Amino acid sequence: MNKKTLFELLQQQGITRRGFLKYCTALTSLMALPPAMIPTVAKALESARRPSVIWLSFQECTGCTESLTRSHSPTVEGLIFDYISLDYHHTLQAASGAAAEHAREQAMKDNYGKYLVVVDGSIPLADPGYSTIAGISNLDMLNETVAGAAAVIAVGTCSAYGGLPHAAPNPTGAVSVSSLIKDKPVINVPGCPPIPTVITGVLAHYLTFGSIPELDELGRPKVFYGQSIHDRCYRRPFYDKGLFAETFDDEGAKKGWCLYRLGCKGPMTYNACATLKWNQQTSWPVESGHGCLGCSEPNFWDAGSFYQALSIPDGDYARAAGYAAAAGVAVGAAAGFVHQKTKSTAVAQHSEISVDDFSLNKD
Amino acid sequence: MSFDSLAEIKVQVETPDYDSGNLQSILSEIKFALEQLLQQNKTHCIDLRAMPWSPGEETRLEEYLGRGEISVELNALGKSSFYETRFSGIWIVTHYNQQDEIIGKLIEITYMPDMIYAQYEDVKNSLERLQQP
Ligand code: SF4
Ligand code: SF4
Repeated sequence: MNKKTLFELLQQQGITRRGFLKYCTALTSLMALPPAMIPTVAKALESARRPSVIWLSFQECTGCTESLTRSHSPTVEGLIFDYISLDYHHTLQAASGAAAEHAREQAMKDNYGKYLVVVDGSIPLADPGYSTIAGISNLDMLNETVAGAAAVIAVGTCSAYGGLPHAAPNPTGAVSVSSLIKDKPVINVPGCPPIPTVITGVLAHYLTFGSIPELDELGRPKVFYGQSIHDRCYRRPFYDKGLFAETFDDEGAKKGWCLYRLGCKGPMTYNACATLKWNQQTSWPVESGHGCLGCSEPNFWDAGSFYQALSIPDGDYARAAGYAAAAGVAVGAAAGFVHQKTKSTAVAQHSEISVDDFSLNKD
Repeated sequence: MSFDSLAEIKVQVETPDYDSGNLQSILSEIKFALEQLLQQNKTHCIDLRAMPWSPGEETRLEEYLGRGEISVELNALGKSSFYETRFSGIWIVTHYNQQDEIIGKLIEITYMPDMIYAQYEDVKNSLERLQQP
């Protein structure tokens, strides 16, 4: 672990207090925390140290790494990864073979008990030969590397739930990280791929607070996966009025009506696409006219056709609709504010939020 | 042909003319915050990037708020722009990185955004530099 704090590193580069505050503002937004938290983030970052990160890629398509290296805000190179010591990533690093494995072992030794392990891809149990790195099976490498880790971040639906390799009939016996690792905190960051700013947001949280964010029952950070796509969807007013596109090119589609009947899985999918969006916040699938596929939910590959409408409105749908009706306001407005309400409740509950409030999972 | 950032690809987005309700709700939040500023001197800040905007909605909000009398440019880790809207006390703050991509966008309801003030640490540093022979 680097001796210098992040603040000292920034100062060394001649960055002023204003620059530092700007960095904190961007980081607070990236972590999906309310702007009222900026002073807390600044305070935490004054003493934050660079964590060492070891990235393991197992049965995967590299889409998650592609997504991450295209994340822009703050840029991987410029703002996050300068302050994280990425000590091993066999796709991105120049070294290979024995030299690469040596880098991994060295990072583990130097930072034992403190480093973060990021995993993309699932682990084949049927025959370890399906996926090996430098002759080491994925299972062995995972167990060996995680032994000295502070926490594990499972990036992408494959490492979070098994993903595409796990789809029926699951020829490789693919399993998720959390089904194997029981004695360390595992943070699931699902998505196929996950939104890049969500990956960096989770890393930033660890960098800033030295702890892992609050998780839902599937191990996902609540700040990003706390609301369904449907809860935050801007097409929601059409859903509530019963205005649906029936084909991809009918009048309804042109008018931007709800895509439910075209198979949108938004009502049962928890992810941040509706607010964080994709490609530098340019757009997101529903805004481009296609329903949500449910990529951040377990077994989405096996959940039937992407174009089959969800048959039964699930519990969340009923709850959300009830909430809107009770509040007596336009659902669009309510949906727009769900996120902010959650944030302000968090703020209201602590008269002053301290760094310690974020250290829920330190041990 | 290669591009360093999405901004270089010229795309014209046509925005259908409908409203998700975000605009009314954000405007009522702003109104409430202005009352609080006047009555209790309490400032407020809204992260515009946390809003589930429909296409074109954010632009419509900016057009409605308009531009007022003052704007400030900051150069630190890339540019930042601060301007007061035509409603005094309502500021729009946009932070860019060195590649000119937006990394933060906020509405601040305040007499003056804090970051515009000279910062204690920076002032101290100025004095030290001036004192050096
Ligand atoms: S069903 Fe899909 S398109 Fe319709 S409101 Fe829900 S998330 Fe949006
Ligand atoms: S809209 Fe749905 S399927 Fe598409 S990326 Fe987001 S969560 Fe995944």
